[in-house]
Amino acid sequence: MRSPFAYTPRPGPLQAASPGAAVAYLGALVAVAFLYSNPLVLAAVGVGAALAGYTAGAGSAVRIALRMGLTLALLIVVVNVLVVDRGETVLLRLGEAPLLGRVDITAEAMVEGAILGLRAAVAMIAFAVYSACVDPDRVLRALRPIAGRSALTAALISRLVPVAVADATRLRDAGRLRGPAAAPIGRTALLRRLMAGSLDRAVDVAATLELRGYGLGGPRVERGGRRSRYDTRFYAVGVAVLIAAIAGMVLGADSFHAYPTIEVGVGSGTVALSALIVLSGLAPRRRDAR
Amino acid sequence: MSTSRGTAAAIALLSAALAAAGCGFGPGSGVGEVSLTVTRDYGAERVQPPVSGEASESDTVMRVLDREAKISTRYSGGFVQTIDGLEADERFGHSFDWFFYVNGVESPVGAADFALHGGEAIWWDYRNWSAAERVPAVVGSWPQPLLGGYEGKSHPVRLECRAAGAACGAVRGRLGAAGITLSAGRSDDAIRVLVGPWAQLRDDPAAAQLEQGPQVSGVFADFTQDAGGYRLQGLGEDGDPAHDFGPDAGLVAATRRFDAPPVWLVSGATAGGVLAAAGLLDAAHLRDHYAVATEGGRETPLPLR
Repeated sequence: MRSPFAYTPRPGPLQAASPGAAVAYLGALVAVAFLYSNPLVLAAVGVGAALAGYTAGAGSAVRIALRMGLTLALLIVVVNVLVVDRGETVLLRLGEAPLLGRVDITAEAMVEGAILGLRAAVAMIAFAVYSACVDPDRVLRALRPIAGRSALTAALISRLVPVAVADATRLRDAGRLRGPAAAPIGRTALLRRLMAGSLDRAVDVAATLELRGYGLGGPRVERGGRRSRYDTRFYAVGVAVLIAAIAGMVLGADSFHAYPTIEVGVGSGTVALSALIVLSGLAPRRRDAR
Repeated sequence: MSTSRGTAAAIALLSAALAAAGCGFGPGSGVGEVSLTVTRDYGAERVQPPVSGEASESDTVMRVLDREAKISTRYSGGFVQTIDGLEADERFGHSFDWFFYVNGVESPVGAADFALHGGEAIWWDYRNWSAAERVPAVVGSWPQPLLGGYEGKSHPVRLECRAAGAACGAVRGRLGAAGITLSAGRSDDAIRVLVGPWAQLRDDPAAAQLEQGPQVSGVFADFTQDAGGYRLQGLGEDGDPAHDFGPDAGLVAATRRFDAPPVWLVSGATAGGVLAAAGLLDAAHLRDHYAVATEGGRETPLPLR
């Protein structure tokens, strides 16, 4: 079964855009998530990234990333409220605990944990959209002129891991086909077989690389790469989001303090920036879409 | 039926155990009154009037401050950045920050981690710390820490008079009037009150820190030696000599050596100076001061401004 995060070729602007444009667009959203702590802006980045995923046809990747992100966020909240006892509003006193000392559950620590968790969830959604919509081969091709060895290593890893997973699935299927009376195959045996297979595959890959002249050095790829008519759109949206975010920071749109008491600023600048970020999620939409 | 009765009993037992362990909803019940003083420039000016209020089980120095003043924090609520708009920063090449004392002793932990037990005197001061990064003990919370101890523990108080003459009795009387019980034993845990002329006290390792300057002792005073004996010298906020007091000047200061209990010094160059210093031991003279010098019946807070 294919992972929902795996790249699936679809006829969409985000998939057609060059890797640089897609990274600039999604990267701008992630950058805003790390620049801002205001919950409204962070939520807007999450909505924008999810909207981008849905309009690009990566809805299942967004849903799973959202589920994973919210689980992680919940974990962060729980850890934060246990290890941080700062804040004015004490909700619950848990007394003294080994290693942690006095544990006071405060509303402020809870909110700060939620902000950290929201940031992590938002970043996960944006990366899920990237993973599902941006062709990794094109990214590696774009990277190869800049960092050849790294691109080669990344290409090998990105190929070997799915191949190993497919091998494991095939081996498990073969084991089941022996019938219900056959002894189950243990994990150790499966891993040993996979390891032996990976060595065979490594020899194959090395031979292939040699045949393709990877040891000779020199240019092996065309410069520039294929451009898309959607590139300008994604670059423009990414730059606009970043400029608006920086301007917003200068103008105080990131007004948020968890300690000593919770203060959330929701001024016109914050609302305008949040609206812009949500709208930026529509960038992968096709013009002829109904 | 028996299962539900067992569950109810288990819940009741768990609740009782949690309550016994200090668990519960909300800030908890009151533990006693605490006072809060907020000043600037080594106590020279009050930023807000002193207040007192009931502290709860979950109260920390930071929570009390946040309740009584408008503050902002940094480092995830760990350090105070501003109190009533007065912001920690660098000005004219000097660093200004907010420092706090609980019962006149500098805290080894941050304000957000300093749990209160009731009865504490909290003092926040905004000061230039270029000359002395650390001022481990101050006299401005009199009669604390002599009366209630520090860092949540009570400590015995030992009076050590060294050729102090009448000043020893005067100090004993002042301590008694403040409700401070003196200990006769030689406990390492005791807060010591040293009384005597400087020539007699300077052999004490804690008192001798004065001669190494405020960056070591936290006291903005020094005793200099000349042909006629010792003379008390007052230092400015920059740690430089600012005023030479007369021969009969007295000094009340507190210092601390490493993690040992604080040591109070009631001293002077002469027996007259020591007696004058003994007369300073009350709230009216010491309140909100790091250390106090006296000369000719006039008190001078230290450091000098």
